[in-house]
Amino acid sequence: MERHEYDVVVIGAGGAGLRAAIEARQQGKRTAIVCKSLFGKAHTVMAEGGAAAAMGNVNSDDNWMVHFRDTMRGGKFLNNWRMAELHAKEAPDRVYELEAWGALFDRTKDGKISQRNFGGHEYPRLAHVGDRTGLEMIRTLQQRVVALQQEDYKVHGDYEAYLKVFSECTVTRLLQDEGGSIAGAFAYWRETGKYICFDAPAVVLATGGIGKSYVVTSNSWEYTGDGHALALLAGAKLINMEFIQFHPTGMVWPPSVRGILVTESVRGDGGVLRNAAGERFMFNYIPDVFKDKYATSEEEADRWYTDQGNNRRPPELLPRDEVARAINAEVKAGRGSPQGGVFLDVSTRLPATEIIKRLPSMHHQFKELADVDITREPMQVGPTCHYVMGGVEVDADSGAASVPGLFAAGEVSGGMHGSNRLGGNSLSDLLVFGRRAGAGAAAYVSGLAARPTAVGIEAAEIEAEAPLGRTGGENPYEVHHELQRTMNDLVGIIRRASEIEEALDAIQKLKERAEHTGAQGSRVYNPGWHLAIDLRNMLLVSECVARAALKRRESRGGHTRDDFPEMSPQWRRRLLVCSLEGAGGIAVEEKIQPDMRPDLLALFERSELTKYLTEEELS
Amino acid sequence: MTVLEVSRYRPGIDAEPVFQRYEVPDNDDWAVLDGLNYVKDSVDGTLSFRWSCRMGICGSCGMTVNGEPRLTCGTFLADYDGVVRVEPLHGFPVIRDLVVDIEPFLEKLSSVSPWLIRSGEDPASEFAQTPAQLEAYKQYSMCINCMLCYSACPVYVLDPDFLGPAAIALAQRYNLDSRDEGDRFDVLSTDEGVWGCTFVGECTSACPKHVDPAEAIQRYKLTAAVRSVLPWVRL
Repeated sequence: MERHEYDVVVIGAGGAGLRAAIEARQQGKRTAIVCKSLFGKAHTVMAEGGAAAAMGNVNSDDNWMVHFRDTMRGGKFLNNWRMAELHAKEAPDRVYELEAWGALFDRTKDGKISQRNFGGHEYPRLAHVGDRTGLEMIRTLQQRVVALQQEDYKVHGDYEAYLKVFSECTVTRLLQDEGGSIAGAFAYWRETGKYICFDAPAVVLATGGIGKSYVVTSNSWEYTGDGHALALLAGAKLINMEFIQFHPTGMVWPPSVRGILVTESVRGDGGVLRNAAGERFMFNYIPDVFKDKYATSEEEADRWYTDQGNNRRPPELLPRDEVARAINAEVKAGRGSPQGGVFLDVSTRLPATEIIKRLPSMHHQFKELADVDITREPMQVGPTCHYVMGGVEVDADSGAASVPGLFAAGEVSGGMHGSNRLGGNSLSDLLVFGRRAGAGAAAYVSGLAARPTAVGIEAAEIEAEAPLGRTGGENPYEVHHELQRTMNDLVGIIRRASEIEEALDAIQKLKERAEHTGAQGSRVYNPGWHLAIDLRNMLLVSECVARAALKRRESRGGHTRDDFPEMSPQWRRRLLVCSLEGAGGIAVEEKIQPDMRPDLLALFERSELTKYLTEEELS
Repeated sequence: MTVLEVSRYRPGIDAEPVFQRYEVPDNDDWAVLDGLNYVKDSVDGTLSFRWSCRMGICGSCGMTVNGEPRLTCGTFLADYDGVVRVEPLHGFPVIRDLVVDIEPFLEKLSSVSPWLIRSGEDPASEFAQTPAQLEAYKQYSMCINCMLCYSACPVYVLDPDFLGPAAIALAQRYNLDSRDEGDRFDVLSTDEGVWGCTFVGECTSACPKHVDPAEAIQRYKLTAAVRSVLPWVRL
């Protein structure tokens, strides 16, 4: 079997993974990047809006404290406040660093990095380039990797001496030593089906999200919750798994592109939401906690785009969870668009040339995929499963999970975004915590007295091989589709106990069926076999989502319970932590959220805190 | 039903690629990629092809559709009459079915030093760059590395050592960036570089992102020509 020795193995080559790998390499560690798809094609490439960083280029009143407050409000105060603090403080430096590595950004007239408005951000804050910021970010990080490899070539005569990319290579198990510390990873090459083993004392998970457990999703095939499941199987814990972000504006038509993202920039740049009657319905959905921050009339909302000092923001720019629920409610009340969404209109709000300049990818996307000219007519949009707030429970400063040697960054980690992520906080999260996890892993390796020895390689191989031996087994696509329907219908945007219980029953049955799924053909580039392996991950993660969703008897952020519609200060203090039980099931425990540091608490008005915190916490 | 005629190649089994026909349901709004995914999910789970974003930004799903290089997520079955023939991108070694080897392409990109080359200190925070300075190179940064331009390029198909459209456009993306102080003359002004191009312009026609690599190449030819006569001039 092919076998390699590294100091740090990074799983995933999106923004977080690349930033982590760059950091580990810069700290002198021999680093492998292992990714499922091609190098440079990771999911980050699809991010459109921008990276939130309080640089204050467009409005000098912005600073890290305002960003911190916005992030906590967006997450309904359930966020790991230390992560939110680090993120707000460090995001500008990460953007500057990205620029020094070659990234381009749209500029202000006087040559500074331009910043755009986004939902939940008090000031224009997103560094961006048109509506393809993720592409620019991936490209820059990818080329930074290449630049480092060329430096290494000059010194060591080998491009890959300190940084090597293993692309189209899927990890199926983390390897541990006798004592449970991380010792490496077991994987297969997608192309040849051959197995490959990495010996390494530290692993950084940067595998992204779980959207492929849902039918309607903006996520692509890679998002099968691999890192979440690998962490669970290694004994780490997942937190906040009940919180899933349904992005309010996914394409609803045509069916083949249902769920594909329509960037929030459309609303940030002036686009409005209307129902079938032509009403700007978002004014009817401003929740109490945000009442004083959002405009109550169309006139005020429209004035805000040119005069933010004297007007409140339009309600279309409420945090994503609020907008998604509002759209859902309009459609349910029979006021939806012909194809089951609502209308998102920018055509009557901006001149055509301006739309094409600011939103070129959206213009192209609707023209190409839906034959809709967004400069002339409204789009039809509806909620789509977009992002999981939950993930591996990590130490805020180092990204370390509870298993020694395991680190996580980006969407696969949990805590930073609390119950709901603000748009633009993802790209900055990847950079801030990608770097921290890379540094954390490097420091961990430096502190080790001896390298660990992996056990369980044979068992990992037997597990991976199993679907190929089941001739006549069930088609894994059938099981996958049923899981997607189950999660979409029963643990979706609006939830209730009876439906979640039904979903848990269904997941149990699907787990049994997945044991019998087979794949025809050999191991050579065999997508059926790959899916059969991915199913294990999706089922584990789906069970976490459902179990945590059943347990949290309140509504908050990306978790809405029809049977418990209120947000409860008591529940704010409780985090739900998932771990693997002996028999392969998921256990959920409650954990008390540590109290916020007094200096951070002091950044808020007491009148605001009373909306979120318990009496006990306030006294 | 629409008939897809798909090139299949299983190394070790097929001596050379063979075509296999699949029937897929008629759907006005199906892209070629949807047809392929239908085949993979419901007919033959071993059909291999690359794809990811479904929205024309990742650049993974480039294939040859009825003889032309296309992103299959943005190419509709309804736009074709009769059988739709899907082959791997021409000009690249086939690994399996519709999957090609992209390593040589990535090496070409790396060879042009695609990052800011600077001698002095970087600014403490950000660079100053005006919108006009940004416009000078922004178009070349739209590239999604889908390789359609190479597949369309008659020079590259005959001479795999040709640096090619995307790599030259990438070099120009940095050459024309006001923050960059680098010199990529030695890589670009060679017979395998810009002088290899016969200006057919197929790359620009094939580009799904309007990068216009042909223009990048012609522009650098001018730069290189002036540089040869007046070596101290930097355009």
